[in-house]
Amino acid sequence: MIEADMQLAAPVAPPARAPSAFRQVLRQLVRQPRVLIGGGILLIVALAALFAPWVAPHDPLEQDLLHMLAPPMWATDGDMAFPLGTDSLGRCVLSRVIYGSRVALIVAVVSAMGAMLVGSTLALIGGYFGGKIDRSISYVVDLWMSFPPVVLSLILLVGLGTGVDKVILAVVLVDWTRFCRVVRADVLVTRRRDYVLAAQLIGFTHLRTLLREVLPTVLPLMITLFSIEMGVAIVVEATLSFIGLSVPPDITTWGQMLADARSDIQSALWVMLVPVCAIVITVLGCNLLGDGLRVALDPRLRKRGK
Amino acid sequence: MLSLINLTLTAQVDGKSVDVLRDISFSVARGQVLGLVGESGAGKSMIGRLIAGHTPPGFEVSHGQVLFDGMELLALKPKQWRALLGRRIAFIPQEPLTALNPVLTIGQTFDEHLMLLGVDRGKRASIIQQQMEAVHLPGPQDMVRRYPHQLSGGQCQRVLIAMAFAAEPALIIADEPTTALDVVSQSHVLSLLAEQQRLHAAAVVLITHDLRLAAHVCDDIVVLYAGEQVEYGPARDVLRQPRHPYTWALHQATPDVHGERRRLPAIEGQMPGVSALAGIVGCRFAARCPTRNAACENAPQNLHQSTPGHWVRCSATCEVAVTDADAPVAAGAGAAWQAPRGEPSATPLVELQNLSLCYTARRGIWGQRKVHNFAVSDLSMKVQPGEFVGIVGESGSGKSSIARLIVGAEKPTAGRILIEGRDRGLTDPAVLRLTREHVQMIFQDPHSALNPRRSVYRLLTQAYEVGQAPDTPQRKPREARGQQLLQDVGLPADCLERFPSQLSGGQKQRVNIGRALCAMPRLLVADEIVSGLDVSVQAQILNLLLELGRRHGIALLLISHDLSVVRYLCSRVMVMQAGRIVEQGKTDAVFANPQHAYTRLLLGSVPPADPNVPWPALPVAA
Repeated sequence: MIEADMQLAAPVAPPARAPSAFRQVLRQLVRQPRVLIGGGILLIVALAALFAPWVAPHDPLEQDLLHMLAPPMWATDGDMAFPLGTDSLGRCVLSRVIYGSRVALIVAVVSAMGAMLVGSTLALIGGYFGGKIDRSISYVVDLWMSFPPVVLSLILLVGLGTGVDKVILAVVLVDWTRFCRVVRADVLVTRRRDYVLAAQLIGFTHLRTLLREVLPTVLPLMITLFSIEMGVAIVVEATLSFIGLSVPPDITTWGQMLADARSDIQSALWVMLVPVCAIVITVLGCNLLGDGLRVALDPRLRKRGK
Repeated sequence: MLSLINLTLTAQVDGKSVDVLRDISFSVARGQVLGLVGESGAGKSMIGRLIAGHTPPGFEVSHGQVLFDGMELLALKPKQWRALLGRRIAFIPQEPLTALNPVLTIGQTFDEHLMLLGVDRGKRASIIQQQMEAVHLPGPQDMVRRYPHQLSGGQCQRVLIAMAFAAEPALIIADEPTTALDVVSQSHVLSLLAEQQRLHAAAVVLITHDLRLAAHVCDDIVVLYAGEQVEYGPARDVLRQPRHPYTWALHQATPDVHGERRRLPAIEGQMPGVSALAGIVGCRFAARCPTRNAACENAPQNLHQSTPGHWVRCSATCEVAVTDADAPVAAGAGAAWQAPRGEPSATPLVELQNLSLCYTARRGIWGQRKVHNFAVSDLSMKVQPGEFVGIVGESGSGKSSIARLIVGAEKPTAGRILIEGRDRGLTDPAVLRLTREHVQMIFQDPHSALNPRRSVYRLLTQAYEVGQAPDTPQRKPREARGQQLLQDVGLPADCLERFPSQLSGGQKQRVNIGRALCAMPRLLVADEIVSGLDVSVQAQILNLLLELGRRHGIALLLISHDLSVVRYLCSRVMVMQAGRIVEQGKTDAVFANPQHAYTRLLLGSVPPADPNVPWPALPVAA
């Protein structure tokens, strides 16, 4: 009936031009509070990471042995120079958290991108062509997923050595299966739609059909997964740097801050709480954004517009 | 048993109050069948939901009464109302397969239903047995142990009918009970419904889109259009002498399987949607009515009695025009005409030689046993240039497989497909390109066939995105071809920039046809292309296909379960059953004098246009 409405409304007032699909999506995104909140959090974190040298009051590695374990500035013994206090080596906690977001975000974006590219490409190929190709890809995914992810990434890092690039590689190698599974299911559904067959009958090559007909349909799902995968990558990076397998000690990360703060957890809780909050808020931002995108980009869950 | 008196249902749409149902009055007595007839969106299912107390939020009865057995239903408390449902008022749903719980056996579902009705545990088994026998299900003992997916659609519907009648209800609401079924099971299920209704002396409200079917099965008919009751009277009178222009047009727009072949007068335009109703003051059909005048456009018409018991909502002037023998809807209606025959001497456009398509399933733990399933077996046929050929058969007869084989979406297991004398199986690129451009397909479900992210313009001219530009007349640039295609398929000019979600079902199907036409094919393969459309829109699409065939000399292979549609379009017809052609020949000859038993069965399942011919004439048992 909704369709009939539009049809009848048309001759009465000819619609200027149908708004482009991109505009419609944009309008949907702005209507979702989760997209706004999640996106806002991530934007703040990204700005802090980008402008770290200007935002942070100190160098993250600068030790001030006169001010060890100084409490936050609003506490009784607080020092205005160290807004969130200092750790056991007298390093500014706020500066460390701000610099730590650099590694977290780089790992989040690059590894999520990598996992998306690897996983979705295989999913598109497997789901579209089906048959033996699909079966072999699915076998690999099943086998891969039966490995405990933590063990797998530990083995990789021990073998490869430390460094941000190695962490990214580890996350991609562990998590591409997630994309592959979910996107493949969507490709299988899309592939059955008649418009894919129609494109083939018109003479589209397989590559063109994949890129023009199948990919745009599964893209919203990929974007959503990407956002959630960023959160996962942040947690994985924090875990790995917590056990000291992520990056050299001269690069500040949130996981390292947690590891350093562990010994003083009784006397100086804030040193531990600050990186925990940073991780929780950033991951929450990723998940909120992902959830909001899922609703905003899925036409079935969309609120009935005018 | 049930009466609706001046019922008006009002909804809030975009801040305006709209009468979704306006001034509906009818009654059905015990032992009678009342048909609610209308196209999709006419509000017929809304009446069913209203009686069930399931009106959507925001819908309020603003005027009128619903009387059931002397009780005012609208005044009942929800609990009292619910107590009536299932016991005194039973429902038969449209989709039998989705209405049964897939993880319970038929017996368990039935048992649960009886438990809710308050039948003692000890008596349930025997009641189930008795009811299953009453609906003529084969092997009732075995049937109760099966799961819904192991039954056919018709068998599921029988189970649901058995459950509905188990409570000895006074009123049954059947919402399109046969729409999801094949023609043959449709007539079986309807005979069964009629038999049960007589046996239990229940009142039945049959909701359907098929005027002729209703005329044969029902005692009285209410015709609905856009929430308005346009006509109400004895079934045969309504079909034989429709008083309202809409009923008349609906009857005329349905193709016949017998009698003289006549050009279908399509009703132009679309039924208004709910939000558009607020702007219509007068008769809701006025915008599409050929005999409208200022009076019916500007004031609501009253339901008046034209002959005793036959009510119509139309001013007297229109009515007179309709009862005239001349066709007011479209000039040329009623004139006999010929379906496109093609040139018999030329090289066949498509020739199938001993074609088979076999699906192999592996059974057993190691897949050691192979089970062969022939969708098409050893089939040969030809389509001449410019010829309209029809293939009819029930679902599962392999007719869609033929379409997929011809367009190259499936590879044959055996046999050859020749396109203009050249073998499709060869991989010569020139042949491939030729077969691709000369044979195009129109899909069944326009919703699935149109990429929702492409605009109409990009859909129509999708063929231009292939590396080599298509061989269009005078090698037109893409813009010009898009405009031309839009005109060819009769879409308004402002559609070009719209997206499929902004089009109606009929318009989507036009885009679907236009896309297939882009590269100037010589053969269109059309698989059930009108089965999802309303009758009035169906007639528009059928006439469009005829027009395209006449203008461009395109041949058409029409695959349909609907015999009347095939008869209307095609000069030659093939009847398929289980992957084989059981009968073929000139359409007129096959329809007038069917030789094969299966063809006769199919023809007998179509409700005839003459209300005096008894139908369904089939035995009740499956």
